[in-house]
Amino acid sequence: MKESYRLAGDEELVKASIDGDKLAFGEIVNRYRRMVARTVKGMLGDSVYSEDIGQEVFINLYNSLSSFRGEAKLSTYIQRIAVNLTLNEIKRRKRFFSMFSHKENDEMMEYEIADPENEEKWEAREIVNKALMSLDPRFRIIVAMRLLQGYSTKETAEILDLPLGTVLSRLSRAQEQLKEKLKKL
Amino acid sequence: MKPSEIKKLIIGSTDGETDTGSIASILEGEGVSFDFKNGFTEKVTDRIFAGTLSLKREVDFTRSLSFVFYRIAITGIAAIVILMISIFVMQDSFSFNSFLGLGDGYAESIVYLITGN
Repeated sequence: MKESYRLAGDEELVKASIDGDKLAFGEIVNRYRRMVARTVKGMLGDSVYSEDIGQEVFINLYNSLSSFRGEAKLSTYIQRIAVNLTLNEIKRRKRFFSMFSHKENDEMMEYEIADPENEEKWEAREIVNKALMSLDPRFRIIVAMRLLQGYSTKETAEILDLPLGTVLSRLSRAQEQLKEKLKKL
Repeated sequence: MKPSEIKKLIIGSTDGETDTGSIASILEGEGVSFDFKNGFTEKVTDRIFAGTLSLKREVDFTRSLSFVFYRIAITGIAAIVILMISIFVMQDSFSFNSFLGLGDGYAESIVYLITGN
């Protein structure tokens, strides 16, 4: 068992993780946690459940590593798990809150406290958060992929398993919605 | 960066032709970065390798259950109060028989029902 896997390739990390190497899997988590955070928090906001979903992403990854055949990049594979779990969480919340409340529970949204020394940066983040949260989840996921991850439309279509035309039309609809919403922010 | 410039970047990302790689980097420089809390990696690896997965699911289940119970409990208490008031109005008492919906002369009625005499 290696002491450090910092320089190891994804393939080596996957193999070692399948063999039960905790350090190797820890390196995968370290390598991709920010990417997953951008997807999960971009979609759910800084809610108390974002951390849980983030953990679930890597647990699902670990459980499915033996079936990962390396046809897609590991990052794409993780991204798909993150997208699926996040969309499931949004659906679950919608069902749950439609049963018990008319409005999503504010207690569940836990935004970070503004850093008074860095108000400008805080404001930028607030604008991005509010803009994303104002969108329908179908559009939000595409905008989050483009805006926060920097993916091309082709990459976005591949990760979301959607036709390129659908991604482009949803982007155009998202643009219309955002122009309207951002005026009010 | 001014809020209007941030908004322009957001709108720009919805243009299919735009290279959003640079937008993501600019935003990151402006503090729009996302990460999980410190100790995230350790939590994940501990959950996987220490076998605490089922325990966490149990905690999640209990949390959901208590939330649902709280909502149901209020309605339940209201229903019980209404039921007690209606029993008191109809039977004029809170006796055990009243709760069972049985009036006075319970034994005789049962004998009558069984034997017909």
